[in-house]
Amino acid sequence: MTISSERFAAIVEAYGTEPARWPTEERTAAMVHCATHPEAQALVAEFQALDEMLNQFQVADLSVLQRNVLNQAARTSAGNVFDHLLDWLLPHSERLMAWLWRPALVACLPLVCGVLLADYFSFGIDGVQNSREEELYLLSLNDYTETFE
Amino acid sequence: MQQNERYRQYLHEIRQCFAELAITPNRSTVLKMTDDQELMTAIQAGNARAYESVVKRHLKSISHYAFRMLGNTKDTEDITQETFLRLWTHADTWRSEKASVSTWLHRITHNLCIDYLRKDKSAITSEYLDEHEGHESPAEQPDKEERLIYLREALAQLPERQRSAIVLNHYHGFSNREIAQIMDISVDALESILARARRGLKAELLTTIKNGSS
Repeated sequence: MTISSERFAAIVEAYGTEPARWPTEERTAAMVHCATHPEAQALVAEFQALDEMLNQFQVADLSVLQRNVLNQAARTSAGNVFDHLLDWLLPHSERLMAWLWRPALVACLPLVCGVLLADYFSFGIDGVQNSREEELYLLSLNDYTETFE
Repeated sequence: MQQNERYRQYLHEIRQCFAELAITPNRSTVLKMTDDQELMTAIQAGNARAYESVVKRHLKSISHYAFRMLGNTKDTEDITQETFLRLWTHADTWRSEKASVSTWLHRITHNLCIDYLRKDKSAITSEYLDEHEGHESPAEQPDKEERLIYLREALAQLPERQRSAIVLNHYHGFSNREIAQIMDISVDALESILARARRGLKAELLTTIKNGSS
């Protein structure tokens, strides 16, 4: 496989002068082209200064970051009850049933609570004794005269 | 002399390339994929050790990428922490068939950096030059130190996508396909962005160095 001078120039302009950074499928052909064409070597020499300058840009030591990053995961897994609740409620699962039953259960919860509360407090319905007395009282108010006629 | 040595090295690398092409499939890639898959499955299950392993493996690359994009330690820490937090909380969104863990993490960092730079562009360029690695005092190597400042200045002037492309290509050893995947563009578009970035840097540095020396 061979490449044209234009393609070689495009590769050097885009990827620089180091063959390790050139596209894998064209690397061998580009290196052969460079080794056999003086104008290609001149182009490489022209861009070499830029690569050398870029090589000088080193990054400061950021080792303290590792501790912070690992701690933040521990914090996330230990705390935030709301997130845990959400994770439980909407699990990361592709099965529809696994995804559905928990929200359905949570939706039923107020209904169950309502039934239990109603049963416990009876909401204004008094005991059996009171209701019987009340019934007798209401019967005594009836007008029975029409019946005797 | 130096040139001859370089071309001899080229020829040596050509031979190595031919030797590499003869070996298929790439066993290390297959092993790495399985490894990635196992670790990510463990992270999804909340395994802190697997998370620690991935952090240790990718932290340096991610933080260096963020630093070269943003130019200051504070923002670098924020972006790096956010990237790894997403690894912990969104590990289930990673798909082994689409990208390696490294590419996926760099893509998250890329998006976070671009968002950050677009939101607070004015602050970046001024902060970018405030912090630099001072291995040698200016008195020891004034020329080198000065050139490094020019380089950082020129990098800061580049549009975010050009800066990202050149950083990923020059410092992180990603292939053109991987960089295109990280930046969510085509390989052709990447080549065009990279060429513009290098031409821009070259022109900017030449002008600055000429002005500086005159």
